[in-house]
Amino acid sequence: MVARPAVVLRGVKKSFPLGDGNTLEVLDVEELRLPARSCTVLRGRSGSGKTTLLNLIAGIAAPTAGTIHVDDTDVFALSEAHRDRFRADRIGYVFQTFNLLAAFTALENVMLSMMFANAVPRREQRRRAADLLTRLGLAARLSHKPQHLSRGEQQRVAIARALANDPPLILADEPCASLDLRTAREVLAAFLTTCREAGTTLLIVSHDEAVIGEADRVLDLPEINRVASRNGPRGALDR
Amino acid sequence: MTVLAVAVKYLRGRAVASALTALSIALGVSLIVASVLLTRGIKDGFVEGTTDYSLVVGAKGSPTQLVLSVVFRMDAATPNILMRTVRDLQHDARIEVAVPVALGDAYQGFRYVATSPAYFAPFPWRRKTFALAAGRFVHDDAPDRPSYEALVGSEAARRAGLRIGDRFYEGEEMAEYPLTVVGILRPTRSADDHAIYFSLASFWGMNEVARKMQIKPVTAVLLRAKRLSDLPSLHRELNVSTETQAVFPSATLLTIFNLLDVVEEALVVILAIVAVVVLLYVLVSMYGATLERKREIATMRALGARRVTILRIVLAESATLAIIGGVAGIVGGHGVAYGGASLLASRRLLIANPFVFSGLEPVVLASVILLGTLAGLLPAVLAYRTEVAENLAPLS
Repeated sequence: MVARPAVVLRGVKKSFPLGDGNTLEVLDVEELRLPARSCTVLRGRSGSGKTTLLNLIAGIAAPTAGTIHVDDTDVFALSEAHRDRFRADRIGYVFQTFNLLAAFTALENVMLSMMFANAVPRREQRRRAADLLTRLGLAARLSHKPQHLSRGEQQRVAIARALANDPPLILADEPCASLDLRTAREVLAAFLTTCREAGTTLLIVSHDEAVIGEADRVLDLPEINRVASRNGPRGALDR
Repeated sequence: MTVLAVAVKYLRGRAVASALTALSIALGVSLIVASVLLTRGIKDGFVEGTTDYSLVVGAKGSPTQLVLSVVFRMDAATPNILMRTVRDLQHDARIEVAVPVALGDAYQGFRYVATSPAYFAPFPWRRKTFALAAGRFVHDDAPDRPSYEALVGSEAARRAGLRIGDRFYEGEEMAEYPLTVVGILRPTRSADDHAIYFSLASFWGMNEVARKMQIKPVTAVLLRAKRLSDLPSLHRELNVSTETQAVFPSATLLTIFNLLDVVEEALVVILAIVAVVVLLYVLVSMYGATLERKREIATMRALGARRVTILRIVLAESATLAIIGGVAGIVGGHGVAYGGASLLASRRLLIANPFVFSGLEPVVLASVILLGTLAGLLPAVLAYRTEVAENLAPLS
């Protein structure tokens, strides 16, 4: 049985205006489907548009053309406020550089996601955030601020934050890129286990063989991005 | 987590900058509150300390000086008039009470005031009442039999340390005429608290020139007309005379208030500038803080925070700073006003207690919160308009 797609992109193009009046075309994807509950790894060289693709799916950046559906919802047919709410409820995002908020503790960083989604009752937010962090091995770091955490711990907080609202889709941008091998393995194992238990659809940008080895599917961005094929070798994989 | 909790976290995250911003608000508010309280206290002090009498009659000269010296004891005494004038006024059918007052030297800065017992009498029309804290009032001595008994105002007694039975004088030349304390007054919240009273006979006896005069001198007469309608004619007649002038104390009070109003207007301009400077400081501080965390704002937006949530967080930060600064400023302003009032009171300036909280404080606090929040509006709009994708680009 073919799983229902969690994400569908059709005719999606993204270009950025340049200062000289021209535009820089970054993405041109005819169609992309991510099955629900699947784990997909996206590969591509630096600057090939991987982060842009994640931002488009997350509704952070608008496509120049085309449609993006997440869980049958046309993301850009929503008003901005509804799109924000949709993102908070339905999409978790793990940034390459973690992007934890320095003024807040590990626990509060996770609770912030819940505050924006408003899906978890306020009195349960603290308990749920503590549970998530404990599952990721951070029980002793709940009240630590990001600057007092190791990079591996910071990344685990970022993962807990992405999982906070139990979203059906998580986008992760090179989640292990800045970690040493051992830490990367630990973080990855915790991340994938938690996502599989929750039945989350995963789209991970990564070149890490360990991540690729865990994936249900590997996508090479140059193969689906017509900009790369038009521009020739620049779109080659950076492996 | 709530918007307010997030705002407070951010403020604590930059504790020094937040404390300095709150302090600048507090200083500005203190200055405004203290100025308003002191100005009001001075005005109220004049109103509370004014006389119940309709007219003050004295020698020709400055009417303001006459009222300031006789009623408020804040100026040098005007030249004397003769006791004959007092007698004439006391026999005038239009006059209910005519009380002579003679201003003399001072003991430790507390003015000698010679008068008759009528000065302290509880007439039905009097707002001010004189009550004894200890002892008794001074008798009305016969001109040739001065008792040299003194009745001391509450502040004069407290500060000069005078008690019943104490004998005192100031200056060796007065050693022959020591005064004996026979009574101490309760506070009246007027210049009378700072005075030392005795009989006219004692005053004349202590004064070398007056001793030799057949017709004794006084400084002024306080008049109460039987009917208000008689006041204009009395006022006119006493001013037409070559020796006397009559002054309505209320008119002098109005002159003083007009002078104070000019000072107050200048103060309002200065305080408005202070308020603008403080608001600009809040704006610059919040603007800088917002610029510094555009990446964090973009992260919050990427996590699903709505633009309006970001706007509310920044506005809550500026409102919190305004509340902290406003409350501290109001408390500090009362402290400054209290200190200022004590200093002015020690210099004999009449001032009502400015430490009393009134309707001013909620108005000031509400204004500070409103203006402080408005000062955060521009940074909040900047935060509101933060573009997510371009501010999330990985740091190089």
